[in-house]
Amino acid sequence: MLRALLICIAILFSAPAAFSQTLQEVLQANSGAVSSPSRGTVDSLIEALSANPPPGVPEFLEQWRDRNVWMRESDGMFFYAVEQGDGLVLTDIDTGAEQTIDDDAGFDQLRPNAGVRRVVGSALVQFLLSDPDIGRREAALTSISRDPSADQLAPLRASIEDEPDTDILARKVQLERQLTAQFGDTAAERIEAIEYLSGDLSVEVRGVLSQILNARQGVAPELPQDTNVARILEPGEDMTIDEAYALLVDADLAPSTVSPGDIKTALTERIEDGQVNGIPVATLNTDAARIAAYQSLVDAGEAAPFITPEERAAAAAAHVFYVSYTEPNSDITAAAEEAERAIAVRLGVGQATDLTLDALSLASIYFLAAIGLAITFGVMGVINMAHGEFIMMGAYTGYVVQLFIPDYTLSIIVALPLAFAVTFGAGVAMERLVIRWLYHRPLETLLATFGISIALQQLAKNIFGTQARPLTSPDWLAGAWVLNDVVQISYIRIAIFVLALIFLALILFILKRTRLGLEVRAVTQNPGMAASMGINPDRINMLTFGLGSGIAGIAGVAIGLYAKVTSEMGSDYIVQSFMTVVVGGVGNVWGTLAGASLIGFTQKGIEWFNPSNTLAAQTFMILFVILFIQFRPKGIVALKGRAAGD
Amino acid sequence: MSNSFIGRNPSILWFLLALSVFTIGVTLLSEATGTGLISTSFLKTLGKTLCLCLVAIAMDVVWGYCGILSLGHFAFFGIGGYAIGMWLMYARTEGIVTGSLSGSALPPTPQEVTDAIGTQIFGVVGSSEFPALWAFSHSLPLQLLAVVAVPGLLALVFGWLAFRSRVTGVYLSILTQAMTLALSLYFFQNDTGLRGNNGLSGLQNIPGLEAVPQATISLWFFWASAVALALGYILFAWVVSGKLGSVIRAIRDNEARVRFLGYHVESYKLFVFTLTAMVAGIAGALYYPQAGIINPAEIAPIASIYLAVWVAIGGRGRLYGAVIGAALVSLLSSWFTGGSAPPINLGFYVVKWTEWWLVLLGLSFVAVTLFFPKGIGGIFDYFERKRLPDRQGDYGPDKGALRQQEGVE
Repeated sequence: MLRALLICIAILFSAPAAFSQTLQEVLQANSGAVSSPSRGTVDSLIEALSANPPPGVPEFLEQWRDRNVWMRESDGMFFYAVEQGDGLVLTDIDTGAEQTIDDDAGFDQLRPNAGVRRVVGSALVQFLLSDPDIGRREAALTSISRDPSADQLAPLRASIEDEPDTDILARKVQLERQLTAQFGDTAAERIEAIEYLSGDLSVEVRGVLSQILNARQGVAPELPQDTNVARILEPGEDMTIDEAYALLVDADLAPSTVSPGDIKTALTERIEDGQVNGIPVATLNTDAARIAAYQSLVDAGEAAPFITPEERAAAAAAHVFYVSYTEPNSDITAAAEEAERAIAVRLGVGQATDLTLDALSLASIYFLAAIGLAITFGVMGVINMAHGEFIMMGAYTGYVVQLFIPDYTLSIIVALPLAFAVTFGAGVAMERLVIRWLYHRPLETLLATFGISIALQQLAKNIFGTQARPLTSPDWLAGAWVLNDVVQISYIRIAIFVLALIFLALILFILKRTRLGLEVRAVTQNPGMAASMGINPDRINMLTFGLGSGIAGIAGVAIGLYAKVTSEMGSDYIVQSFMTVVVGGVGNVWGTLAGASLIGFTQKGIEWFNPSNTLAAQTFMILFVILFIQFRPKGIVALKGRAAGD
Repeated sequence: MSNSFIGRNPSILWFLLALSVFTIGVTLLSEATGTGLISTSFLKTLGKTLCLCLVAIAMDVVWGYCGILSLGHFAFFGIGGYAIGMWLMYARTEGIVTGSLSGSALPPTPQEVTDAIGTQIFGVVGSSEFPALWAFSHSLPLQLLAVVAVPGLLALVFGWLAFRSRVTGVYLSILTQAMTLALSLYFFQNDTGLRGNNGLSGLQNIPGLEAVPQATISLWFFWASAVALALGYILFAWVVSGKLGSVIRAIRDNEARVRFLGYHVESYKLFVFTLTAMVAGIAGALYYPQAGIINPAEIAPIASIYLAVWVAIGGRGRLYGAVIGAALVSLLSSWFTGGSAPPINLGFYVVKWTEWWLVLLGLSFVAVTLFFPKGIGGIFDYFERKRLPDRQGDYGPDKGALRQQEGVE
């Protein structure tokens, strides 16, 4: 008891003494282990360094490992040094003071060997993992997850206990499980870790599992005993006979087949006086003739014989084809497979959710682009090919506002109503000057507005140039809402979705609940009768067209936030917008919603089958729309009765 | 005489006269005859313009006479170009490949030649296999057949679907535009097998005619285009005259009434739609060897809208109007965008026509639609006193109908 107390006192007194020791002093105390390190000495040095670590140990270990530590021969002092010409730039290990030396004579570079460097590296990990700086701990974890290895496991485990930060603690535990799953000592330990990971969707965990399940194809005369076989491949079912035979050739278990290239080489080598084995070269211009000529070479014993399909099938049947895991323990691979299956199910659910969110966001973009058109085209029946250019005008308004108001949040708040005002004005002007003369000639409206569209596009090009202009979203709209590694959606898309909902409600309210909406519907159905009831159709048409155009302008700001602003951005949406309205059903805002959803979901659905090719998705989507029109020519939500007009 | 085909269409004689005078004049001034007043590149532009006039006539028949504003006829034009372009590329590459393979020790097998051509043509899209679309590209007659058959078949199927479900007016226009967009997106893909956005190139080199200078080949194509235009004019003049023409125009003015009179409206529309698509294909097949290159951007929806613009500016409902519109606007376009038009100095701003031409075109197009619905062709009415049909009121309630102020018999 007394002895124990004495030891405690001794430790208490020795601790401050140890702290007063500088790194240089510790190193000098273990001078031999530092200057000529070996596997035998390095452990004791690390122990000495980590027992009462003086400041700067991690940096020293790093520099030592990277061979940047030099020793002055005269007094054995250690320095960090960088070579400069013939001389050195020395840095004092404790104070960091620099000095330049012209001649490196009298200094020795310390060169720890690979084994020592590995030990140092793992010690370094431990130091970094318990570094007081939270950023360095995070960096250490990131580097482990990027390049996991067995020797990181022990230091990682050791550092978990003293971790103060809860986030980093969770991360450490997670990484420890991943490392254990891969490099744990016992099979039971590894299986336990694998089971722990089985619900995790992250890319890292999936990487760990696929690492454990790493398999390769093999072939042997008989199934080898000591391998962990994943499955046996049956030639003719799981693979073609030719593929199986190619594997045999690769494994040197069978002679290689004679390819057309081989025939050509063999024949070319034996050309003599314009003849191959007595056959004129000029006749060898078909495959059949070449094979016959080659066969004559085979008969003469000058070339390797053909291998008949029967021979190939026999060779394939005489061997076992299998896929084997590199991991020898079958219990571990079974557990990993089980975990992978569990993840696959959750992954499928996650991907479906993600796809749905994507489709929803695409649908809301189409809806936003088309909602203005649903009013001008759907309700008024005016084909406005310049609708896309109104979207572009709105986006450029946002861009110009951002030039004057640097604060992004404020500029968006200003840009939205301003874009509405600008495009409302443009819409009213267009209606007054052009469209109202053409109400009886809808096809001409199409062409006249197309003329306006190309003029506006070129005008935008002349003013803003051809390169894309940025419309920066405020910081709070930057990032993405991350549910897990599979399901995530950017805030900007959520904002567009919300905006689309707001517009849907707003338009429905205006059309169904206000005096203006009533008059709009009346004028659309029967302008003459509406006029005789005291409604001014001219004014209503003007306002309605302005409203539709103004909404296009706001949609332009929203679309510009997530895509680039160019003079051609409108034309990217115009055909889709028209199809949205036509598919949905003309004259009905709900129809536009239905059309946008149908088109958005269809397109994402097709993309899901062939993710690399969005062009194909668009092509098939359009074909789908054309066919859809066959079955519902009036769209999804068809108007009935008098409201349907003609 | 006054009741014969020509007598009822006096414009045919005038048109043929003007076209032959133009053709002879250009021939005499071309480089091939030694005068050299018209450079080969300008000769190609003129030849291309004649092809554009041909497709414009087709567009005029389908829109100005039948009332179907098709925004897909330039796609048919492009398909014709692709069809002939496939043969041109294949045959020319075959010549090159055979030449380079003849140096090898063994004479090449047909398979080796095909593989080498495939590598040569599809190398740009990272492939060397021949796609199924190119199955007939080795044969000129089959590809020539494809020039008319593919656009015709496409128009037939699409038209049958669209007309059957009674999609009319602006909806039909949007549907044709969607079809054009789908086609151009399809052509843009690399795995379609039409070299993606690289398109087909080197089409000006005609296989087997390597020895003939480009000046002469251009002249031949110019003549071919002129002949095609003349034949197309006569064909369509015949289509739109007589009883068939009356029904077609009646469909434009009031489709429902024609149907009630017992005519099978869909068949007439389908006939016009398909026939014009085939002629558009022929025009494209003559155009692209003169242009030398074709890519999917050529068949984008905007090209078809431009086609409608030409016809509207020239004057719908009269064949020579379409020719005037196409020739004038496309030549003016190439003059303005080519940079040879003199800039206008306003003192504070210099108007460069390369930048402002589209603005001018767009606005003038609006002006034509608003103020001169008859287009440029309407000027001819001042010279020739047309009998305005004595009908009461409007021409009919159909949305696609020409209204009274633009109606001529």
